[in-house]
This record gives sequence, structure tokens and C-alpha cells, in this order.
Amino acid sequence: MTSRNRFLIALLAIGSFGNAQSATDQSALAERGAPLFIQQCAFCHGRDAAGGEDGPDLTRSKLVAADAGGDKIAPVIREGRPEKGMPRFSLSDPELAALVAFIHDQKTKAEALVGGRRGVEVADLQTGNAEAGKQYFNGAGKCAACHSPTGDLAGVAKRFEGLKLEERMLYPRGAKAKLTVRLPSGQTITGELAYHDEFTVGLRDSARHYRSWSTSHVKFSIDAPADTHADLLAKYTDDDIHNLMAYLQTLR
Amino acid sequence: MTRLIQFVFASSVVAAQGVDPTILLNPPADSWPAYHGDYSGRRHSALTQITPQNVAQLGLAWAFQTGQVQQIKCSPLLVDGILYITVTDNVWAVDARSGHQLWHYTYPPNKGFHIGSRGVSMYKDWLYFMTPDAHLICLNASDGTVRWNVIVADSQKGYWTTMSPLIVRNHVIVGVSGDFDNLTGFLKSVDPETGKTQWRWDSTPPAGTPNATTGGMTWMTGTYDPSLNLIYWGTGNPTPVLNGKARPGDDLYTCSIVALNPDTGKLSWSFQPSPHDTHDWDAVETPVLVDANFGGKPRKMLMQTSRNGYFFVLDRTTGESLLTTTFGPVNWSIGVDKKGQPIPNPAKEPASDGRLIAPDEGGLTNYRSPSFDPKTGLFIVDAHPSYGIYFAKPADGSFGWAGADYGVWGKAVLDAIDYQTGKIRWSHELGPNGAGAGVLTTDSGLIFTGDAAGNVLALRTSDGKTLWHSGAGSQMQSSPITYELDGRQYVVTSAGGVLFSWSLPEH
Repeated sequence: MTSRNRFLIALLAIGSFGNAQSATDQSALAERGAPLFIQQCAFCHGRDAAGGEDGPDLTRSKLVAADAGGDKIAPVIREGRPEKGMPRFSLSDPELAALVAFIHDQKTKAEALVGGRRGVEVADLQTGNAEAGKQYFNGAGKCAACHSPTGDLAGVAKRFEGLKLEERMLYPRGAKAKLTVRLPSGQTITGELAYHDEFTVGLRDSARHYRSWSTSHVKFSIDAPADTHADLLAKYTDDDIHNLMAYLQTLR
Repeated sequence: MTRLIQFVFASSVVAAQGVDPTILLNPPADSWPAYHGDYSGRRHSALTQITPQNVAQLGLAWAFQTGQVQQIKCSPLLVDGILYITVTDNVWAVDARSGHQLWHYTYPPNKGFHIGSRGVSMYKDWLYFMTPDAHLICLNASDGTVRWNVIVADSQKGYWTTMSPLIVRNHVIVGVSGDFDNLTGFLKSVDPETGKTQWRWDSTPPAGTPNATTGGMTWMTGTYDPSLNLIYWGTGNPTPVLNGKARPGDDLYTCSIVALNPDTGKLSWSFQPSPHDTHDWDAVETPVLVDANFGGKPRKMLMQTSRNGYFFVLDRTTGESLLTTTFGPVNWSIGVDKKGQPIPNPAKEPASDGRLIAPDEGGLTNYRSPSFDPKTGLFIVDAHPSYGIYFAKPADGSFGWAGADYGVWGKAVLDAIDYQTGKIRWSHELGPNGAGAGVLTTDSGLIFTGDAAGNVLALRTSDGKTLWHSGAGSQMQSSPITYELDGRQYVVTSAGGVLFSWSLPEH
């Protein structure tokens, strides 16, 4: 190897932490990432990255699957996902590179395992009866009051499957709500709810501008259709859920 | 008494430094010398300077920046005008009048689980600090130098530690964490001077015992009744966590409240909030000790709002159940047995096609402290009405987690429970998902806690009305404390990596 080539390879190795490195480099990097993962990540994501106390299984994560050399994973580690309870971490680039390598290494190892892994397969969620689910949808569940199999739910089984579909069915996280604010002047402003606590409400108006008010200064109402999903949680039997899943999976 | 003798006596009191274990029996107003503030775990203060009438004027006295991304999860100690706070691997001593740092101790890099640190404990001039790799460190409180360092459990096997030890006379009582492996939970009493083990109590049989459970971790600080000479401790969930078939029966002493002799570690009685748990509901929430009437009769009671959604009132002399009731949505049990323990519904064990369970894995409440207000008889708790789905199948095995579960929906509510009936007298909505803040009550009729959006709140105890708030920028992941210095009452809360000290304006 000429010194020029060596220099080029060194540059590549420094410049990116995924693409141009050999398998041995990657496995050395993953080894350095292991203790860091145990310290900082394992409580939530599990020691093997396959899910822990309350964090998702990273070996099946779509984000990890789409990641190349840390381009997707590193920003999430740096910025966190506060809305999902993931804190941000302040780590150096080499530490991030090692963590990313470890996560990819765990993904490879997990994919080589047969059957021994925690997680939920699409096949696990096939115990329901589609006809009973349809009856529940149109009857006791009152789903048809807001949803239609030929309208908003047309093709839903093509867009979501397995656990993702079930989670969205039970409670659609991040569903939009509408805020209507009545100002002391009598003027009414409506928009997408953007913030709400005991003391402040905020919305995005039709021009996507953010506006907020002190709750003690205005009258306001919130229309959150997803609340109906939360109300149903106390009413479902497990069979209802499995049957509804079976029915939704027919909507292709 | 002559003036001279009076003077000598007074100055010897002032000069006395640290925590003589006898002050833990009746902590002075200018101290918060242990995790719960006192042995009862009520997190209630007799201080009355800040009142419902003047709390609207509460303002920031100072803030202390740890400069860490890690969140503060500790309950600070206040001794001799100095606050001691922690995050994992770090301890600070901070002047409680000004908020400036006196010293900062950093534990060397280690491979333990970095989940959180719930604070230090103090005996005489020594601080006791537990580390991610399950060591107990004794530090000199005056400068943060290490006196000794002993191993409590083998972190290579999967143990870690986070808790603030309970000091009873010359016992430093420490517990452990670790439910990613099938490990035996235990409590250990350590000599405060030498670090030598005095006794050990195992909550479960040795790992590998056929058909027996492991687990029962002891990761929260217990409480103590000096007159009965009993410590009260909550134990964690069994392992494997979601697969109950591998460990038939009740799985004693997991998800239990146990009463032990602090001198010997001998078990006096036990009560099990979650027999045969399959949902990760540690029963480690503070066992709160209350002396009051129950059913018209004076009783020495123990109360717990448990992670599994039940509120328990026990006679703490015998462990006899006085009241068992739920304090939010609970769908996993089929009733209560004659001992007052919930009976789990086998149909609600995790299954391959999923079971919808209330509450979720985080539970209807978690480790941050509740508070008992003696005047109103209200038990105030940060509650998390919630649902999750639980899965387990044979392929998930029988080691560690052995399944999967996912939160579906939840919200945060502060509930005021009437301890005599278990009825919720009022509820104060705290926002979506969860708040997770601890609760402090004071004799003036105030509650201090936090909401899901990161506001610090002062509420009126009688009806839960908000009287004051301040945005702290992040949720309170700890429990508030209060103390009086130079005639001024301070309330200390945390948010993210910042500690805030609140007080009324100085005139």
C-alpha cells in the first residue's frame, strides 16, 4: 500500500463512521460502543438494544434500519425525543460513532437469531375474528361515528401493519386537536392546538403562525377527537381489540 | 444555669456538625437530614411561613446549575446550612443560603447502568453515596474526599444501585437494583465507620432454584418506626419480568412490603401488594407511616399508593390490612383476598396476542414521593391513569424481561385520597402522559409539586386549587423539600439539571 492510499483510507475512516470501513474496524468500534451503551442507553433500550424498561427495540427500529453511518441515529441521540421521554445526550463524535456501530452490530446479531427475541410479529396479532371486529366497529365501539372503511380508513392496512397498526388503533399519538379561543374583545380565533397547560394555550393559525394566551385572560375550548380512543380503553375486552385488528387488516 | 454555661452549651450545639442519628428521630426545622426528611416518609413539614395567603409572592432565591445533561432525581439533604445533591456519578455540596458550590465529587468512569441517583445519606460527618456499578462510597462531608469504597453487589452480574441509604443508629441500610437478569434482591446493613456488612436479608431464593422466582429489588429508601424498632421496605418485581409461568405461585418476597428488625435484618411481617406480578409493578413506593385514628381507634399505620394502582392502609405493628382500594383505572385483578391483597387475573398475564392492562408499566404512580397531610387526613399522590399492552410468548424465554410491553395512553393527575375511606376527595389535572413529580405538604395547608409541562405548582391542600406556579423548563423528576434558615423558609425543587430554591421576598 502506498502512503497516499493509506492517507486516503485514514481520511475516509475519519470522515464517516459507516461506509468505507472494514468489518474489523466496525467490530472494534462496536466493542468500544458496548460499555457506553450499557451506561447510557441500556436501562430503556435493553442491554442488547432489543428493548428494555420503556424504550423501543432498536434492532427492529425503522430509523436504525434507515441509518447509514449515524446520519439518522446521531441526531436523535444529540437532540433526544423529549415528547417520548428520551433525553438528549451530550457525547463526542467518536463516542457517537461507537454507539452507532454498537447498535448496528446488535441489529445484525438479532437478525441472525431465530425465535429467541422479544418483540411482536405481525403473525402474533392474527387471533381475532374480522366479522366480529366489523360488528364492533359499527356497533358497540361506535368507531363508525368518526371513521369509514371506504373513507379515512381505506387502505389503512397497507399503510400500517402489526403492532404499529394496533397502537394507532388504540390511541393515535400525535393526532391533531383544534383550539378555539375567544378573546375579551369577543373575537374568536381557531387553529391547530400547539400547546396546552394549566396556564397557557397556544395554536398555529391558518397561516401557521404560532399564537399563545394566558388561560386566565381568555375563554377557550379544545376539540380533541382522539379523546374518544382514550375513553374506549376502559370498555374494550381483549377479544374486542383482537377482532378489531382482524377487521382493520381487511382494509387494504 | 449561669450565663457562661448557657453560652458554652449554646455554642456546642452550633458547632455540632453533621447528622447525629438521634436528630433523625425529630429533625430540626433548619434541616432535611435524610431522603424523606424524617423517618415517617410523610414528606410533610411543620413550617408555616409560606402560606396559602402569601404564596403568590413566592420567588426565586437562587438556582444551582449542575451543568449536566442528566436530570436531577435526588432528594437533597440539608444539614448545617449545606445542601448535598447528586446525579449519577456526581455529588455536590452547595451553600443553601446562596446556591454557590462548595465542592463537587466525581466518581470515576465505570460500566454500571447510569439510570439515576436518588441522593446521599448522612451519618455524623460522613456522606454515603451509591454508584452505577453497585459500590457504596463514604465521603467526608466537609470536602467530598473518599473515606472508603465498598462493593455492595456484583455489577458484572447485572446489579446496579441508585438509592439513598437509610440510616438507623449505626446501620447504613442499602438496597440494590437489577431486573434485566434473574438475580436475587437483597437489603444489606453496613457499618458506617468501616463499610463492613452487618447483616443481609434476601428477598428471593438464590438464582437457579427450580420453579422459584428471582428479583425483588430494594431500590427505594425505606422508612423506620423507632418505637417498634422496625424498618419498612418495598420490594421490586419478580424476574423473569413478564413471564410468570417460570415462577409459579406468589413469588415471595417480590412486590412486597416487608417489616424488618434494623439490628438483625430479621423479618417481622410481610404484605404483598402484587402476588405473582407479571407487569413490572415494583411495590417500592414510599411506605408512609402515620399515627392517627382509623375506624375510630388510634392506630399505628403504614400507607402505600402502589405502582399497581392500589392504595393500602396496614397496621404497621402486625401487617394487618385495614383498607385496600384502587385509586385509578385498574383491570388486572379479580378481587381482594382475606389478607387484603389483590388477586391477579390469570387472563391478564402478558400473552402472545397482547393484553390491554391498566395501569401501564410505569404504573399508577412511581418512585417519586407522595405526601401525607395530617390536618386534612389526605394522602396526596402523583397519579398516572394509563393503559399499556403486554406481550409474552414461549420464544421470549424465561430470562430477564422475557416479553414486551408498550404504553398506549396516559395522563397525569394529582389525587387527594381520604385515608379512612380510600375515596378521592379531589383530583387536579396535571397534563398528558405523566408528570412524575414528588409531593411535599406543609402545616400551613400547602402542597408543592410539578405538572407534566414543567411547571412548579403550589396548591391549596384542602381543595387542590392552584395558588402559585412557575415554569421551570423541564419536569420535576424528584421530590421537593423545605427548610428554614435565618428565619426564612425555602422550598427546593429541581427540573432537568437545575436546582431551584424558592422563598418569599426579603423585607
